[in-house]
Amino acid sequence: MSPEALPPTRRSFLRAGTAAALALTTAGCGFATSDDPAGKATAEAPIDVKVDGDLVYFNWADFVDPSVFEGFQKEYGVKVVQSNYDSMEGMAAKLNAGNRYDIIFPTAKWAERLATGGRLRTIDHSRLRGAEAVFGGYDYFADPWYDPRSAHTVPFTMYKTGIGWRRDRLGDLTGSWEDLWNEKAKGKVFVLDDRDEVLGLGALKLGLGLTTGDRADLDRVTDTLRSLRPRLRGFSSDSYNNLLNGNADMTQAWSGDMAAMLAQAEDPSVFGFEVAREGAPVNSDCYAIPANAQHPGTAMLFIDYMLRPENVKKNIEYIGYPMPVRGTEDTYAALVEPFPQCLVTADDLAADLFFRNGDAAGERARDAAWTDVKAG
Amino acid sequence: MATRSNRTGTALGPPQDPAAPKTPAPDRKRPEGTPGTTARTRQPRLWTWLLLPGTLWMTGFLVASLLLVATLALGTTDPLGNPRFGLNFANLTALADPAYSTVLLRSLGYALITCLISLAVAYPVAYAIALRGGRFKNLLIAAIVVPFFANYLVRMYGWSVVLSDDGPLLRALRAIGLADGDTKILQTGVGVVAGLVYGFVVFMIIPLYAAMERMDTSLIEAGRDLYGGPLRTFLFVTVPATRQGAAAGCVLVFLPAMGDFVSAQLMGGPDQIMIGNLIQDKFFQGQNWPLGSALTMLLMAVLFLGMLGYLRRTRKDEAEAAR
Repeated sequence: MSPEALPPTRRSFLRAGTAAALALTTAGCGFATSDDPAGKATAEAPIDVKVDGDLVYFNWADFVDPSVFEGFQKEYGVKVVQSNYDSMEGMAAKLNAGNRYDIIFPTAKWAERLATGGRLRTIDHSRLRGAEAVFGGYDYFADPWYDPRSAHTVPFTMYKTGIGWRRDRLGDLTGSWEDLWNEKAKGKVFVLDDRDEVLGLGALKLGLGLTTGDRADLDRVTDTLRSLRPRLRGFSSDSYNNLLNGNADMTQAWSGDMAAMLAQAEDPSVFGFEVAREGAPVNSDCYAIPANAQHPGTAMLFIDYMLRPENVKKNIEYIGYPMPVRGTEDTYAALVEPFPQCLVTADDLAADLFFRNGDAAGERARDAAWTDVKAG
Repeated sequence: MATRSNRTGTALGPPQDPAAPKTPAPDRKRPEGTPGTTARTRQPRLWTWLLLPGTLWMTGFLVASLLLVATLALGTTDPLGNPRFGLNFANLTALADPAYSTVLLRSLGYALITCLISLAVAYPVAYAIALRGGRFKNLLIAAIVVPFFANYLVRMYGWSVVLSDDGPLLRALRAIGLADGDTKILQTGVGVVAGLVYGFVVFMIIPLYAAMERMDTSLIEAGRDLYGGPLRTFLFVTVPATRQGAAAGCVLVFLPAMGDFVSAQLMGGPDQIMIGNLIQDKFFQGQNWPLGSALTMLLMAVLFLGMLGYLRRTRKDEAEAAR
C-alpha cells in the first residue's frame, strides 16, 4: 500500500470548493421532481445482469484501488468512465440536474433520501455472488433503517466519529466527549466543520437523541457547545492534517481519516484515537444504481466484482475504511493496529447511532442551531 | 476559478463597471465637421451586433441565475432537502438573527482592511513597473499575473500548510527566537486578512498599472519644473492622475474579498467566520438553499449600496473631466 494513495481528506479539503457543482446545477437547474410514476416503474424493474455498456462511475475521488478498476475493465472488456463529487450535496445536485450515472455511493442518510424519492433501482442480491458474505456476515445491513431489506443498496464502507489527539502533548484521555473541554488542550481543539457531527457530539454528551430536531433539546445542545467555543481553535474537517502539522492537540475526527493518518505519521505512537463512551456516531456508504442509469447491468457486474474478497482487501488497504464483508476484518485490523477504535463492529452498528433525516421543521431548527454555534 | 462561483453576489461585480469610466468617449473628440455621415449611421448598428453575444451571455448566465436566486429566497425545501419555489418570507425574517449582522459587519471590516492594505502594497509595485520597468515591464506584469492562474483554493491550502504551527515558517521563527511556542498565524484575523490580500492584490495592481501606464509623464516633469518637490509632485500630480485606477482597483478587491469564504475557512478560526462561510454552509450543510439564497440577496444588497456610491462618484468625475 502506498501511503500517498490514501485519500486523507476526501470529506474535507474540497469542501471549501464544492461550490463548483452548484454553479453547474443552478445554471441549468431543473429542480427535478421525484414523483414521476413512469420513473418509479423503471426503478423497480429487475436488472438484467450483463454487460450493457461502459460503466459511468460517480464517487468520492480516489476511493477505489486503481488496480481493481483495471481488473474489472480487462475481465469484462468495458471502460470505467469516472467522475467525482466532493460532497453528498454536490452528488445529489448533479443527479437532480438530470446527469446519468450507472453507480453512485451515497451515505446512509442520502441513500434513504434517494430511495424514498424513487431515484434508485432495486438490486436483487441473489444475483450478486458476494452478497452472502455481506448480508450474512453483517445482519445489520440485511434490513437497515435507511433502506428496508437493503432493497436498493449494498453497503460499501463504514466509519465512526471520535476524538484524535496528540498523546505526546496531552497524555491519556478519559474516553468521553468531555475530553474536548480538557484544560491542557485549550485553544488547540478543533471540531469537524459539519453540522450533524458537531450538534451530535453535544447531544450525545447531554444524553439526547443524536439527530434531535426538538428546539428545547437544541437549546441545551447549543448552550453546551457555546461553552466549548472559546476553547476551540476552529471548525475544520481536515482533522488529519491539523494533527500532523501541529495546529491541533485534539480534534473531533472520522475513523477513516485517522487510519489514513497512521500511514502518513513518522511516529504513530504520538497520536491517539478514541471513541466516547457516551456514544460514537457511526455511518456507512453504499453502492446504489440510479433509476436513470443507462448501463445498470454493467453496474451490477461491477458491484459483484468489487465484493470479491481479494478486491475488498485491496480496497480496504487503499482507502483505509473497513467494509462489511465477512472474512476481511483481519485485513483492516492489521491496518489500524495502533488505533483499535477505528474498527467498526457489529456492536457499533447495533448501537445504531446513525445520522438520520429529520422532518422539515426539525431540519430548520438544526440549521439555526448550527448557525448559532458557528457564528457565535 | 470555478471554486469561487457560489459567491454569486461578488463574482458579478467586477465585470460590470470599473472599466467603463476609463473608456474615452470617442464622439466628443471627433472634430465637428467630420465627413461621412453614412459611416456614422452604420457604426452604431455594427456596435449593437457586436454587443449581442455579450448581452446574451449576461442575460443567460447572470440575470437568469440572479432571478433564480432571488425567487429561491422565497422558497422552501422538500423532505429530501431539494429546493422548492414558493412564496414564504420565513427565510427573509430569519435574516434578523443577530448572528448574521455580526458576521456581515466583520466581513465588511475585513474587506475594507484588505482594500487598504492592497492599495498600500499595489501602489508602489504598479508605480515601479509602469514608470521604472523599462523593457522589463511586460515580464514583470507577467510575473505578477502568472501565479494567479493557479487555483486560489489550492494556493490557500498551500499557505495553510506553510503557516501551520509546526510548519516551516513558524519553525524557522522559533529557531531564531522571533516566536515562542504559543505564537500562531493560522486561525487569527491577521491570517484571514493576509489571505485575502494575497488572493486579490493582483486586482489592485493591474488597474493601477494601467492608470500609470497611461499617465502622461510630462505632467510629472511639469510639476518638477514648477518647483514641486518629489513629494509634492507625487501628491498633487501622480496621485490625482491615477485616482480612477485606484478606485477601480478598490472595487475589484473589495467585492470578492467581501464574499470570500476560502480564506476564513483555511486561515480563520471560530471568531473569523465571514458571510461567505455562512452562505456556503446553507448550501452544503443541511441543504437549506432558500435560506442561502436569502443570505446571498442580503450580501448583494449591501454590496449594491457600496457600488452605487462608487458609480455616483465616477459619474461626477467624468462630468468634471468633460467640462
